[in-house]
Amino acid sequence: MDAFLAQLWIARWPIFDGFLMTLGISAGAIVFGTILGCIVGIQLVFAPLWLRLPFRAYVDIMRGTPLLVLILAAFYIPAVLGLSLSAAHAGTLALGLFAGAHIGELLRGSLQAIPPGQIEAGRSIGLTFPQILANVLLPQALRISLPPWINTGVELIKGSSLLSMIGVGELLLKTQEVIGRNFMTIQFYVFAGVLYLVVNIALDLLGKSMERRLGARQ
Amino acid sequence: MTTTDTARPLLDIRGLRKNFGAVEILKGVDLSLRPKDVVSIIGSSGSGKTTLLRCVNLLEEFQGGDIILDGETIGYKTVGGKRVRLRDAELSRQRAMTGMVFQSFNLFPHLTAAGNVMLGLRKVKKLGKEEAFVIAEKWLNRVGLGARLEHYPSQLSGGQQQRVAIARALAMNPKLVLLDEVTSALDPELVQEVLTTIKSIADDGATLLIVTHEMRFAREVSSRIVFMEQGRIAEEGTPAEIFGEGRSQRLNEFLKSSRH
Repeated sequence: MDAFLAQLWIARWPIFDGFLMTLGISAGAIVFGTILGCIVGIQLVFAPLWLRLPFRAYVDIMRGTPLLVLILAAFYIPAVLGLSLSAAHAGTLALGLFAGAHIGELLRGSLQAIPPGQIEAGRSIGLTFPQILANVLLPQALRISLPPWINTGVELIKGSSLLSMIGVGELLLKTQEVIGRNFMTIQFYVFAGVLYLVVNIALDLLGKSMERRLGARQ
Repeated sequence: MTTTDTARPLLDIRGLRKNFGAVEILKGVDLSLRPKDVVSIIGSSGSGKTTLLRCVNLLEEFQGGDIILDGETIGYKTVGGKRVRLRDAELSRQRAMTGMVFQSFNLFPHLTAAGNVMLGLRKVKKLGKEEAFVIAEKWLNRVGLGARLEHYPSQLSGGQQQRVAIARALAMNPKLVLLDEVTSALDPELVQEVLTTIKSIADDGATLLIVTHEMRFAREVSSRIVFMEQGRIAEEGTPAEIFGEGRSQRLNEFLKSSRH
């Protein structure tokens, strides 16, 4: 144990950097994915058919493709097209597109779960459709979406470990590099695993407390 | 229909026709309300009462006829001889002229009683928060819920929820209030508080168009009663005429069957 702690002390900065990279990429992806998902979810429910179709295709493709394939695609395709994206940017893009599809789909479900009487009540007091969306539908839909949204966040943090495959210096890759120097394989993998677990449990608790706060208000 | 009155009608429905696909729901309805009229529409399910109300609030499209509200033709305009539905913003403006209270309350569950009443005041009338709150407080007091301003709908009884919905509609100061079977979803012991509220609003001079199954209430509150059958107005008259002697066979049968 002392030997592990000594090695951990030596490797503290690389692992800390990796940890921050994991958090940063996951946060970027959840923000990008949530904005994208809101647009997608609204279009899936309210857009005319011709506009709905491309969004439907996007969601189905993203949800039907392994995350690792998406990450590799985001890494290689822009390069082929002559765009230069850093590995971290490509990875964030892949995770964000993945999250956007999932969040779009869950928001679609939440919006459709709201009784049609809510739209009619909004209309009857003279709200325009965008006003109904902003003041009546989204507040309710986002509330319904909160638990699965947190879940998507957890998936992203775990999924970000796949970015080690394209050389993004996140927690898993940094851990592997450290193991390459000290060969304490089990110890450092377990340590990385515990870090992932701690973040995800924290996220879960945050979600539960938000749910309680919102739930208490209804 | 009263033709002797020279006052311009507040609501003038002319030859209203509405169909869902091949099914004709409204087959040419004419109905006119002057300011402060309280008109109740009675009739069996499927006679088109609720659809008529929803057309007036532009929640339904309709295929023929005109609805003229305070001199303005609502819902449609004629462009090059073709009848076209107005844009959303225009429909919203016209909808704000009427208030509607629904059978299933349709309160916004994420907002308090005050929040429900304030939403239209804030977003449609563009009032400031404090000004809107004062109006919401006034109307919630008016329906007897002054002590429930910060309650969420789930913390209120059905009767209280429906009274919040009435306050929400009236706070917008509509020219006309549409009430669609507002007591049908309520437990029997909660019906009276809602009817009493509506009665007092009618006494204050609001113009009301009511769809109801409560015959005794219709008789008490209405200046006129309309009996609808199969998408048409079959009879129309004062409560005394409708509920008195000399009514038609069909109306007789309906009234007999609706007596619980």
